[in-house]
Amino acid sequence: MATERAHWPEPVPDRLQRLWLTLLVIAGALPLLPRLDWRIGAFASALFALRLLALRWHGVQPGRWLLVLLTLVGIANCLHVYGSLSGRQGGAALFLTMLALKLLELHARRDLQIAAILLGFLVVVQFLFDQSLGLALYLALVVGAMLTLLADINATTGGGRLRPALTTTTRLALQALPLTLVLFLLFPRLSAPLWDLGLDAEQARTGFSDTMEPGAVSELVVNGELAFRVRFDATPPPPDQRYWRGLVLWQTDGRRWTVGEPPRTGPASLALAAAADRLDYEVVLEPTDRRWLFALDLPVAAEGVVLAPDHLLRASRAVESALRYRVRSVLDARTPAPSAALRDYALRLPAGTITPRMRALVASWRGEGADDQTVVRRALAYFNREAFHYTLLPPPLGPNPVDTFLFETRRGFCEHYASSFATLMRLAGIPSRVVLGYLGSEPNAIGGYHMVWQSDAHAWVEVLLPGRGWVRVDPTAAVDPSRIDNQSASRLLGAGNPVRFELAQDAWLARLARGARQFADSIDAAWQQWVLDFSAEDQLGLLQRLGLGGLGEYGLAVLMVVTFSLTLGAVLLGLVRAPREPDPLVARHARFCRRLARIGLAPHPGEGPQDHGRRVIAARPDLAAPVSRFLALYLPARFGPAPDPRTVARLDALLRGFRPRRRR
Amino acid sequence: MSRSPERARWRGWLAARFDAMLRRARSDPDGVVRIGARQIYILPTRFGLVFGAVLLVMLLGSLNYQNNLGLLFTFFLAAVALLAMHHAWFNLLGLELQARPGAAVFAGESARFTLSVRGRGRRTRADLRLSGAEDAAAPLAVPAGEQSGCALVVTTRRRGWQPLGEVRVETCHPLGLFRAWCHTLPRAASLVYPAPASLAPPPPGAGAGARALPRGAGAGLEDYAGARDYRHGDSPRHLDWKAYARERGLLTKQFEGEQGHELWIDWAALATVDPETRLAELARQLLDAAAAGARFGLRLPGVEEPLAAGEAQLQRCLTRLALFGLEGGDGH
Repeated sequence: MATERAHWPEPVPDRLQRLWLTLLVIAGALPLLPRLDWRIGAFASALFALRLLALRWHGVQPGRWLLVLLTLVGIANCLHVYGSLSGRQGGAALFLTMLALKLLELHARRDLQIAAILLGFLVVVQFLFDQSLGLALYLALVVGAMLTLLADINATTGGGRLRPALTTTTRLALQALPLTLVLFLLFPRLSAPLWDLGLDAEQARTGFSDTMEPGAVSELVVNGELAFRVRFDATPPPPDQRYWRGLVLWQTDGRRWTVGEPPRTGPASLALAAAADRLDYEVVLEPTDRRWLFALDLPVAAEGVVLAPDHLLRASRAVESALRYRVRSVLDARTPAPSAALRDYALRLPAGTITPRMRALVASWRGEGADDQTVVRRALAYFNREAFHYTLLPPPLGPNPVDTFLFETRRGFCEHYASSFATLMRLAGIPSRVVLGYLGSEPNAIGGYHMVWQSDAHAWVEVLLPGRGWVRVDPTAAVDPSRIDNQSASRLLGAGNPVRFELAQDAWLARLARGARQFADSIDAAWQQWVLDFSAEDQLGLLQRLGLGGLGEYGLAVLMVVTFSLTLGAVLLGLVRAPREPDPLVARHARFCRRLARIGLAPHPGEGPQDHGRRVIAARPDLAAPVSRFLALYLPARFGPAPDPRTVARLDALLRGFRPRRRR
Repeated sequence: MSRSPERARWRGWLAARFDAMLRRARSDPDGVVRIGARQIYILPTRFGLVFGAVLLVMLLGSLNYQNNLGLLFTFFLAAVALLAMHHAWFNLLGLELQARPGAAVFAGESARFTLSVRGRGRRTRADLRLSGAEDAAAPLAVPAGEQSGCALVVTTRRRGWQPLGEVRVETCHPLGLFRAWCHTLPRAASLVYPAPASLAPPPPGAGAGARALPRGAGAGLEDYAGARDYRHGDSPRHLDWKAYARERGLLTKQFEGEQGHELWIDWAALATVDPETRLAELARQLLDAAAAGARFGLRLPGVEEPLAAGEAQLQRCLTRLALFGLEGGDGH
């Protein structure tokens, strides 16, 4: 039951408070604007502008009917843009619109309070879009300012305007921190959502799609985002061995490569060439909205995720938030010979794209009855010897990309090389497939892990060699390093892959940029690991470490209540104890009473000093003079309007000679 | 319809029971009210309830979408709200209130009390609101180790001692999410004189003296002895309207010629039946006599105030009237 009595006049917020709130709302809404449709942002911005104008010229303030009209227009705008008022973006848009409208109606303190609550909600809504540390810090500032504003609205006491409110808020926030930590660590989490409003799948995320056509990978390569982080248990593999497999593409129409439908013949077993080269590591994958995962060539076991055919990792559902998984890979694994059906599938050629000069080229390699390995070697030598260029800005290819690339343009990116190489191999009768993934990783010395960026995206080929199984071949790596287009590679300053072509990156600017990027990413990784990824499993792990693992979720709840109460108690104890200092007058009176207690004349509970003094004098008339003198000094000083500062010294002098003794 | 009086009685009984159950902070023998832990009530304000509801929505949403940052933020705000509740409580705990009555007033006027507030400990007390405060818009703040004062106003109806009664001290410090309050009973009483009748028969012996003098017609001009500030109860006929028109304030004219008159204002000389009306008429006679500058005395059944003149005599006589026939002479 709320009890709000009407006898206090509702304070009217002043102009400064309204201005302050408006600026706060604008600051809180800013990070959201680029995530919403421009029409929503435009409407909100217009309302903000109107609000600021109305603060200066009161006549601009819209009346009630205009406000109703604006509200309807705002809702219609949201509906028109998103088609619904629920969902992540629709909801956020509606929210922003309502908050901006509320700003135009700040008549009473209550309106400011409601607007502050809406602002708090807007902050939480933004965490559905972005949970980065930077945004969190920024919005924490906004929330701190919002609390200060609330304190300022509440304290109508005059004086320095901002200072007392800021002091109050700072103290509250500092005291709230330990409690927040306890709740965050121990509040039981859901391991699966209770309901799904379909908040996701609205935003295109960067990452691979399951097809490859010219230009698809190079788009990724200019992207500066992180793909995943890796923490190796032991020594990481050498840089040229860090091929992260993600997808295997079997089918091509001459331009596009797709997964196709390779015939499956039961689970593939794995023959290990050497057990010594096992690598155990942990991957934290950034959200991709896809199911496929990445692992070092070649994964043999994984925790928490599925090891699918062709030695690919799959998540149980689309990766919508960062996913952590452990993998064991073997670098020199040898796969068994596939079934005849699969072998045939890996030899299919796209109809109508094979030109005579392609056939002639392959025939020249096969010429003297060379075996498959020799053909592969000759093909690689061809890419190295001929004037093939590596560039991120390849010229457009005609209707037959492979032929045009091989014999005319000869400028391309890894998908061009992989696509033509695989096609040529099939033409030579060697089963081949294209693999999509990442190449290389950048060690982060600060965080002790490796970073793999979207710019490390790569495509290569696997060929089936008799007796060796599927063997990785990277035709891009065969390009002569002198023919690398440095201009386009320089777009990757700080994000380039030094492994692929051993590009010289010792310019101090590049090193500085790399160092800064590593530092920023190690902070990001810690944030990801300790805050964003903290889950129900981590909580149970914590319980287990405390020896309470057997209690399960109930134990967690009990532990939370107990720890929270203890922390709250400690905080409150600090609140009570710290500011207390005994009044010097009271201390003197207490000493006076102790002296009297020695002769059995202690004050009764509830007895005031005056009554007590009267009783003492009645019992011991010989003490009348000092007792009445003491009280004559003490009472007016203690309860009077303006105590004389010399009273304490006088009381001390009096107490020095006051040592009553029992009468015999 | 027939049950309506029954229900009213029930409701009255319930209200009385509830009232009896309320804990109040009472004065100790020194007349100081100390607010203890058990006398403080606390409930969320409407804003606090809305805030709580929004927090709940945030909590459910963050839990459902496993959004740890949202959870962190929600927990922080919840912790802040919880601490705000304790701060509100601590803001009242250990407050010491002491009330002092102001000058005596006539029944029907507002009695003023001065309430001094100080806080034990070194905390600054902010945003204290007192029921009956003269300036309701301005909450009281008590800096650490100091004391603040506040004027309280109580409307009076009857003569005698008007107790201050219950003063509710409340606070919404620090964020307005919770309202903590305490019912206090500071012990203080203000003296209330009977409201003077507008007209009263002249007291015996006045005759053609003070009452019958024609005022402002020129005859009494040489007797004019100056003016003093207007006091409540002065006859409007003695007001210096010219001075008022010149914006010199409300003044009462005094006349030299009236000095030296001796008047006995006597209960027995009046014939009015109702004792309160008779007291009101006596009050009027006293005021008129004092305004005329006469020496006057007061005779009540069993009490007599000897002849004297001046302000102090007027107060003494009015006090006799105020307390006449009431039990326990000093209402403390």
